Amino acid sequence: MSGELPLLLAGGLLAAAVVLFILHPLVKGLEAPLEVDDDDPGKAELEHRRRVALGALRDAEYDFATGKLDETDYRRLRGELARDALALLEEEGAAEVPSGDGVGETEEAPGEIDSLEAEIARIRSGLREGTTCRACAHVNPAGSRFCGRCGAPLARADRAEVGAGEVEEG
Amino acid sequence: MTYLGEIALWIALPVAIWGMVLAYAGGRKGRGDLVLSGERSVYALTFLLLLASLGVIDAFLSDRFEYWYVANYSNRNLDTFFKVAGLWAGQRGSLLFWALLLAFFSSIAVWTNRKKNREFMPYVTGTLLAISSFFLIVLLFAEVNPFERLEFTPADGRGLNPQLQNYWMTIHPPTLYLGFTAFTVPFAFALSALLSGRLDSRWIVVTRRWTLMSWFFLSNGILFGMRWAYEELGWGGYWFWDPVENASLLPWLTATAFLHSIQIQENRGMLKVWNMGLVILTFLMTIFATFLTRSGLIESVHSFAQNKTISFIFLGFMGFVLAVGVILVLWRLPGLKSENQIESFLSRESAFLFNNLILLGAAFAVMWGTLFPLITEGLTGEKISVGPPFFNRVNVPIGLVLLALAGIGPVIAWRKASKRNLRKNFALPGSVGAGVAVGFLILGVRDWMAVATFAIGAFVLTIIAREFWKGTKARARIQGEGLGPALINLVGRNRRRWGGYIVHAAIVVIFMAFAGSAFNQTVRQTANPGDTIRIASPFGHAYTLRYEGISTTQRVGNTVWQAVALLSVSREGEALGGYTTEKRQYQAIDMVATEVGIHSTFFEDLYMILADVPDLGGAISNDPGSQRVTFEILIKPLVSWIWYGGLLLTVGTLIALWPPPPRRMSGAEVASGGRRLEKTAAPG
Repeated sequence: MSGELPLLLAGGLLAAAVVLFILHPLVKGLEAPLEVDDDDPGKAELEHRRRVALGALRDAEYDFATGKLDETDYRRLRGELARDALALLEEEGAAEVPSGDGVGETEEAPGEIDSLEAEIARIRSGLREGTTCRACAHVNPAGSRFCGRCGAPLARADRAEVGAGEVEEG
Repeated sequence: MTYLGEIALWIALPVAIWGMVLAYAGGRKGRGDLVLSGERSVYALTFLLLLASLGVIDAFLSDRFEYWYVANYSNRNLDTFFKVAGLWAGQRGSLLFWALLLAFFSSIAVWTNRKKNREFMPYVTGTLLAISSFFLIVLLFAEVNPFERLEFTPADGRGLNPQLQNYWMTIHPPTLYLGFTAFTVPFAFALSALLSGRLDSRWIVVTRRWTLMSWFFLSNGILFGMRWAYEELGWGGYWFWDPVENASLLPWLTATAFLHSIQIQENRGMLKVWNMGLVILTFLMTIFATFLTRSGLIESVHSFAQNKTISFIFLGFMGFVLAVGVILVLWRLPGLKSENQIESFLSRESAFLFNNLILLGAAFAVMWGTLFPLITEGLTGEKISVGPPFFNRVNVPIGLVLLALAGIGPVIAWRKASKRNLRKNFALPGSVGAGVAVGFLILGVRDWMAVATFAIGAFVLTIIAREFWKGTKARARIQGEGLGPALINLVGRNRRRWGGYIVHAAIVVIFMAFAGSAFNQTVRQTANPGDTIRIASPFGHAYTLRYEGISTTQRVGNTVWQAVALLSVSREGEALGGYTTEKRQYQAIDMVATEVGIHSTFFEDLYMILADVPDLGGAISNDPGSQRVTFEILIKPLVSWIWYGGLLLTVGTLIALWPPPPRRMSGAEVASGGRRLEKTAAPG
């Protein structure tokens, strides 16, 4: 039985070490962060949806480029997707360039994400300047009057009301 | 070491319960110190369970037969390799191993999220520790403690069932357990989303990799089990719809459904309640699978123990999880409203939804068939098992529809597919599929399931091959790259999509291998030394097997006797060498086992079984007049495609799982406003 004494001692030490380890934060007042790291869940979700919307636009581009969508289907789909994406891009509360929190969990390669974020920034600045086409989300050179992609007129005046309407929808 | 392990196991339970209570309380009250203590409990628990597991392994290695578990699953002359694997050879050790893997994954989840997703972590930690606590309660109080001592110390153990002394059997259970336990993390995040009220798709994004990793282990675990059955059970099959096989298939089916439906939530903000339901269901299925495997509730080739206490504890736990899940989902129902609706029956959304319904239908059929004997026993007092015919009749058509969807899903348009879109994308693959079907019919094949599988398989493979080809070509054109770099960049820039396509192709290959069984050939023949057996392959050639004789040994290794028959095999006159197949009697269990000979090629396996030795006594005593034996020779076309399909599946999943390289955000690129949309939208 005396052979078990060291083992008993080892067990006691083990228990003491574990108790110390897990009680340490309570005794010393150490805290795990609890704040939402992207400071506003709503904003983060908006960011996520922006990325998804832009991603869907790209998928449509890809499907068109590879011939999976024909011209008519592509235009229709792109129109719908562009409307959704622009509505999201016009929603307030987003930084110009997203913070990129949680980017580690997205599936795109970094180049993809960087360019997606740059893309979002570009379209948003186009929206302010009136160079982003509201029909297809194409960003035109400054001073354009018609969209270089789909031919729709680039009407600056209706920006506010269209935007407002679509914010509701989005 | 063993003693220390035992103490560690007893300390583990209060640590887990402490951590669970503090993490939940910390989350509720917003107290970071409580949460930190809870998170440290996870690390401490992992350390303690590691000690406990090492304790069990140490008991095996040092032949401590005073422990019930070691005495029943080991003996002195067991290989060291199998002594280490003794940790998961039986119910008691494998429950501890389950708890260890769960703690290990919990630690990874807590560590990788120590600075992000903090709003989830208190409840994630609490939930993970609650599940750990459950397993520890089972281990300590359900008469399954691996450290339980016998009242005496036997001179030797009973040894490990020889059929489990196989490489594949050693890695099959841990792989499945990795799959089961990895899925606990998405489940914990889902519960945390419900508890914390953060119901957007964040929890899905955070746990996507976990889900995929769990699916990867589940798939491979199932395939390893098939490989074991094929090599070791000696009847030429790899799947028998055995209750325990079914138990591992159930979470695979629901996890596959989940893997697809989360994409709808991510992309379209739909199916939120459905996804919550699926994640809870899949978690329940992983527990159910562990329960079925390790309670011996249903008779099966795997059944081990009959212990009522453990059944009640498991059923109680599953009932509790289900109740908590349902209540939380109902409570958060207003926040789980769908943001969009399915616009058309002909759309990718509806293809995904259909895939989900089919997978759940299959899961339900498998579950029903598995539990049917229990239900009939409860109602009529008689146990009626449903055999493979039931499962095949129900699941083959379901499988074929699923297979077709593996091709339709990737190319049908989102939202609403027009007739033109369908024509454009399905005309060629449809024709290829129809051509294959006609070809098989002309060749005289009348097994409709095989014809359908190959036709649909060809349809899907055409679609996937064309996707790769068109994507590569378009990228090469737009980016001005060569075809090789274009393909690599294409896959690299959207690993999830292209990895997924490769997995779809792997599933096709595996299904074709299943369909190959329609062309199995069997010859059963009794032979004397010098006789030849001829068997024709459906591919046109024939094998000739010359029976050279039988040789026997006694008391070698862990056998009582071994009778080994030698066959010289040639294919159309070309000698392929000697193959052996044998009968053996192990010391440990009173059962004659068969070892088969397999000549495996890419297109078919020649599977040789020593089916019967009529004068066994004479053969064992090496009586020259007792060499007459019966062989069963099988040709199994395409069977190796299951293993090749498994490799392809692994490659595809690893591509999808591979983490993106560290992010580089170039300020200049942002300032310049990025590249043009057309350019960035290059396929990939």
